[in-house]
Amino acid sequence: MSSAISFQNLTKRYGSVLAVDDLSFDVEPGQVTGFLGPNGSGKTTTLRILLGLAVPAAGTATIGGLAYHQLPDPVRQVGAALDSNTFHPGRSAAQHLRIIATATGLPRRRVDEVLGLVGLADVAGRRVGGFSLGMRQRLSLAGALLGDPGVLVFDEPLNGLDPDGIRWLRGLLRELAAQGRTVFVSSHLLSEVAQTVDDVVVLSRGRLRAHTTLSALVARTSVVRVRTPEASRLLDVLASAGYQVRLVDGSTVEARSATADAVGMAAAAAGVTVLELSRQDEDLETLFFDLVNTSQQNSQNQEIAA
Amino acid sequence: MNGTIRLARAELRKLFTTRALPVSFAIAIVLAVGSVIVDAMVAGKNGAAPLGSDASVYQMLKFGAIPCVVLLILGILSAGGEFRHRTIVPFLLATPHRARVFAVKVAVIAVLGALFGALVFGLGEITIVATLAAHGIHHLPPGVGRLYLGTVISSACFGMIGVALGVLIRNTIGAIVAAIAWTLFVEQVILAAVVPHIEKWLPTAAAIGLTNAPGPDPSRALSPVTAGLVLTGYAIALLVAASRTTMRRDVA
Repeated sequence: MSSAISFQNLTKRYGSVLAVDDLSFDVEPGQVTGFLGPNGSGKTTTLRILLGLAVPAAGTATIGGLAYHQLPDPVRQVGAALDSNTFHPGRSAAQHLRIIATATGLPRRRVDEVLGLVGLADVAGRRVGGFSLGMRQRLSLAGALLGDPGVLVFDEPLNGLDPDGIRWLRGLLRELAAQGRTVFVSSHLLSEVAQTVDDVVVLSRGRLRAHTTLSALVARTSVVRVRTPEASRLLDVLASAGYQVRLVDGSTVEARSATADAVGMAAAAAGVTVLELSRQDEDLETLFFDLVNTSQQNSQNQEIAA
Repeated sequence: MNGTIRLARAELRKLFTTRALPVSFAIAIVLAVGSVIVDAMVAGKNGAAPLGSDASVYQMLKFGAIPCVVLLILGILSAGGEFRHRTIVPFLLATPHRARVFAVKVAVIAVLGALFGALVFGLGEITIVATLAAHGIHHLPPGVGRLYLGTVISSACFGMIGVALGVLIRNTIGAIVAAIAWTLFVEQVILAAVVPHIEKWLPTAAAIGLTNAPGPDPSRALSPVTAGLVLTGYAIALLVAASRTTMRRDVA
């Protein structure tokens, strides 16, 4: 259960496109780590490299210190659900899992157990071709859980699930992490996983934008606005106090990750006149888009400069 | 070794849990036995050799190409279908040793091809023996055993060629169409007319050299041993190319 995921200077190119750019971070056991970024940001490519399905141009992606193909018993160490569309439509759900179980020496009863766990026991004998997207997603998850692994990697697992399914999966992810497993979940929406994750890794254009705890990210949504005739001076005061600040207009300063009390006290200590002080918290999704869009804007600026 | 046996059992489970295998095998058996019956019915008529003659029996035994074509298609479906339906992804996640996965798939198809070739030839031969016996004829020409062995080897080789094509050409339907077009049209019609001196060295002609009795002009066909070596060589060459592709290519 001590397995952990590590990416070191991971880079992947597809022709002239840099899909993953010098990515380095670790994923710790015993918690759910959200791997976030917009579509095309490199999440799936990163996961495919981690799971040995794609070869990096540079860098390493390891699980417990080993590349995926070096794992002595992958199915019992890592469970992954990358896609809900990896089934022969003519095979039943049970047949699909039995093929994996046969290849890896897992007992047949384990197939029945995981089908029950994901709520597909009643349709185990039905052909997958007739499954809904949500049922396929559940079957993918069953495949990931088949070997009862310590590391779980899910790519957009909530896609296609109905509200009941989403609630069920969130509970399952929390339960798996509580058991000490490493749970690494990608999503293109922070709001989708905000109720589930402990840690957040944000990716944009293949580059790491943030790696922090969800609570730290939530703290960054706290925004205090101050209207003052000495805006530029207050800007300096708050910046030197360590706050992330910006000038909204000629008379308004905005401080992020700050409390109203702390900003008021800092202004008073510096003798800055305050006309109005208010909290205007952002929601998590706005912060997420800010992180991603700032990165994209910076990249575009660099491209223009180049 | 246990891992290899488990992989082989998983490959068999894959084959026996889709309709492709029973449907294609059933069609092949019906075609093979049906061709024997039709040849027996027309024997001795319209200039055809009389029933029971060596030429007539060899004509009835010309169904050896049927299991070869079926195994060619089954091999393509077995390998190409993994990419078409993307079942290769969960399988490689569970067993990431690509070289072993590929080698076991090839071995399973080759053994299955050999067994199916033997089964189809056996059923065809039983039909011939029964038909001849019904007409009071109780002997077969001496080359039947060689054709039996040739059909077994050709079916195994065509199964392996199918697996290689399925890996090399990711579009399964495209691969099947290309393979059938090559065996039935490009090689036997176009190349046989344009470059007749090298046509016998091509894979379909080599298979015909193994599965059919020599024609009136022996110089147009390879000897059975040479044909077997040539066909095996094509299978190995294509498998080496497919193996390299399997090892290097990203799985999307």
